[in-house]
Amino acid sequence: MIGLPALLAVASALFGIGLYGLLQRRSLVAMLIALELMVAAVSILVVALTTWTGRGAVAGQVIVLILAGVAAAESAIALSMFVAIHRASSTIDVETLSELKG
Amino acid sequence: MSAAGLVFAASAVIALVGAVFAVSFKNIFHNILGFALAMLGVAGIFLSLGSDFLAIAFVIVYVGAVAIAMVYAVMLSYPLDLPQKRRSGAKILGAAAVAAAGAAAVWAVLRSMPWRAADFPSKVSAAATGVRFLGDYVLVFELISVLLVVAMMGSVMVARRVRVGEHA
Repeated sequence: MIGLPALLAVASALFGIGLYGLLQRRSLVAMLIALELMVAAVSILVVALTTWTGRGAVAGQVIVLILAGVAAAESAIALSMFVAIHRASSTIDVETLSELKG
Repeated sequence: MSAAGLVFAASAVIALVGAVFAVSFKNIFHNILGFALAMLGVAGIFLSLGSDFLAIAFVIVYVGAVAIAMVYAVMLSYPLDLPQKRRSGAKILGAAAVAAAGAAAVWAVLRSMPWRAADFPSKVSAAATGVRFLGDYVLVFELISVLLVVAMMGSVMVARRVRVGEHA
């Protein structure tokens, strides 16, 4: 059985890398990638803690499947919005996108 | 070290290296490839925890669908030929400091909880997951399918080109 500290460390590190990418990148697609990394870190935590403690292991799987479905819907909407934003203002750089009614 | 431990160690390295690729490279295509690598690593971690079905689902959803959708969005929108502006060192350092503090806070909270190990390692079968999903969680299952249909139709509506004289 894998030690819990290693699992928690990997999830925390993945969360930190995702947070760094979300703060540092300016392209909307790159920020979406970083956000998905953070969601993956949370998924690892849910699966690791439910299987390691042996309580609600099946419910943990179901929760992570729901999370993956919601994240997939979210990225579909976000990517289509990026395409529409690029068509309207020919950039997806968050530092130049400053108009709301562009 | 057990087989599961070996799989976990390799998968954790793949996931973290892929995640670093996904946030560090300037070329957005390399970022997407790193993201796919990181998700393969996450699927490997699920495999080492005995969650076979979840590992397969992650490979299909993230490495298959989401990464390909990102490639499409980049090809339709991202100006790859334009030179990237350089980010100032202070902003990168600030982002790294906040991210390190966030990861440390998550780690500290997780370590302070009194987790107790199960008596036996639990291996969750796909059958048990399916029975639970279509039993107790059937309403959520249906809502997810409705959500995915609405998201698909909505993304087509948002992204399509409106012709002159046509109502949006």
